[in-house]
Amino acid sequence: MKNYLLLACLWVFTLTVQAQVTDDDDDIDYGAVELADGSMSKTFANSRILGTSPQRFVSVGWDVQAPYDMTFSPIGSFAEGTAFNDVDQATGRATYTGGFRLNANIPVISRNTLVWQMGATYWDTRYNITNIAGNASGQSVLNALNQNGIRTGGINTTIYKPLSEYQFVLVQASVDMSGDYGLGLQSEVRTSVAAMWGKRPNDRKQWAVGLSRTYRVGAMNYIPIWLYNWTAPNRKWGIEALLPARGAVRYNIDRNSMILAGFELEGQSYRLNTLSETLAAAGLAPGSLEIRRGELRPRLEYMRQLTGYFWLGVQAGYRLNFSYDADVLPGGKEFFRGFFGDQNFAMLNSIGNAPYAQITINFVSP
Amino acid sequence: MKKTFALLLALTFALFAQTDSIHSQDAEADLLVGVWEPSHGRARVKIDKIADKYYGKIVWLKEPNDPEKGTPKVDKNNPDESMREVALKGYRILKDFTYKGKREWADGTIYDPENGNTYSCVIKATDDNTLDIRGYIGVKTFGRTDVWKRVAVKK
Repeated sequence: MKNYLLLACLWVFTLTVQAQVTDDDDDIDYGAVELADGSMSKTFANSRILGTSPQRFVSVGWDVQAPYDMTFSPIGSFAEGTAFNDVDQATGRATYTGGFRLNANIPVISRNTLVWQMGATYWDTRYNITNIAGNASGQSVLNALNQNGIRTGGINTTIYKPLSEYQFVLVQASVDMSGDYGLGLQSEVRTSVAAMWGKRPNDRKQWAVGLSRTYRVGAMNYIPIWLYNWTAPNRKWGIEALLPARGAVRYNIDRNSMILAGFELEGQSYRLNTLSETLAAAGLAPGSLEIRRGELRPRLEYMRQLTGYFWLGVQAGYRLNFSYDADVLPGGKEFFRGFFGDQNFAMLNSIGNAPYAQITINFVSP
Repeated sequence: MKKTFALLLALTFALFAQTDSIHSQDAEADLLVGVWEPSHGRARVKIDKIADKYYGKIVWLKEPNDPEKGTPKVDKNNPDESMREVALKGYRILKDFTYKGKREWADGTIYDPENGNTYSCVIKATDDNTLDIRGYIGVKTFGRTDVWKRVAVKK
């Protein structure tokens, strides 16, 4: 009988020991305990700011502008400040300007110590230009635009490297081919680079300053840049800016929708491929004839979640012409005019301002 | 009598032996069990094994109280309104992980209280005291990895 009792006790003890293995002990002050590997807790500035519009991994959209007039000079050599009215003009009316836009930014590395993304861009702009008249070479450019449209295709990379809990560096670079080319590649590629150093004082604020080599004003330029992202404590209001390229005040309607009121500066240097070759063959303008397109777009954007990580973006605004002049780049080599350079233009062009709209479907980041 | 004694003794040893065997097999899987600190350092998460799966709950917050209200922080960003008054401390943010071998746990989800989103998640132990926690949507490419460090609390 004693043996039975002894064994029963042993049996119960065994089960009790097993049960204790999984017992919780939540009375510990977990905050007072050090890391197991003896290291000090080290945190890094997160690339994200609370409440901002979702980062777009993939965006597919369509952009369209209302009709406007186009006025082009002949292809020649015009000094800065030449009175436009003194130039023999070719005119046309763009009754349709629009096209498909694709942007992709795919994370290659996304860790708290490093974020590296690779991306691709393809923007297609088609024109329907009517009533073309005036000087012959201006007409030829209008006809080339009407026939071929212009496109931008390129790849880009973004590297975000936190230096500490509050500091970070951000580097962006892109290589683009822009022009009226078709499926074939062209030799003239344009490189844009931006480098910034900044601080992230808290989860709702981030700023950085730096320098960029950009085509956003049409021709290549070097300009200082300022990044500023901020969200109010109630997360209803915020600012998203990368000046001078873009800036917006954000109002979060609810978790799944927001409105952004702001602007974007768009631009690129577009090689008119066939026309460049024709002019070079004729000995008239040897080099790459490039339209320096730059435009300012004040706009309102409404974004809302469709389902899961798919968001709809609807944008409406006004497209203000900043530059549509053209340069001939000898041998296709870029030159720097900046805001104060005195190099002559190959064409002095003007296009009217117009309302525009854009719709996008976006696959966004978590 | 002797037979019964021998049977109970055998059962007891068998139970111990089985326990040792299971512990041996699960030692690597249970590496995940413990208290961990995400890279932002503002919370600590205790991971436990329940049945055959692993779950993690917040056990410590650097700032336990809402700075505006002065009351304990709650899950105010949860898409489910009925959950928005639930205290963050004790909230289960890791769910349903199963061990896949090679120091990897998958098939689970991670909840981010900062934005109320729940992501698919895979956990990889890069050493005994470090976890790569990757939250993603759809495919792992579209995700973000955070490095968690073990806190020196006994399991």
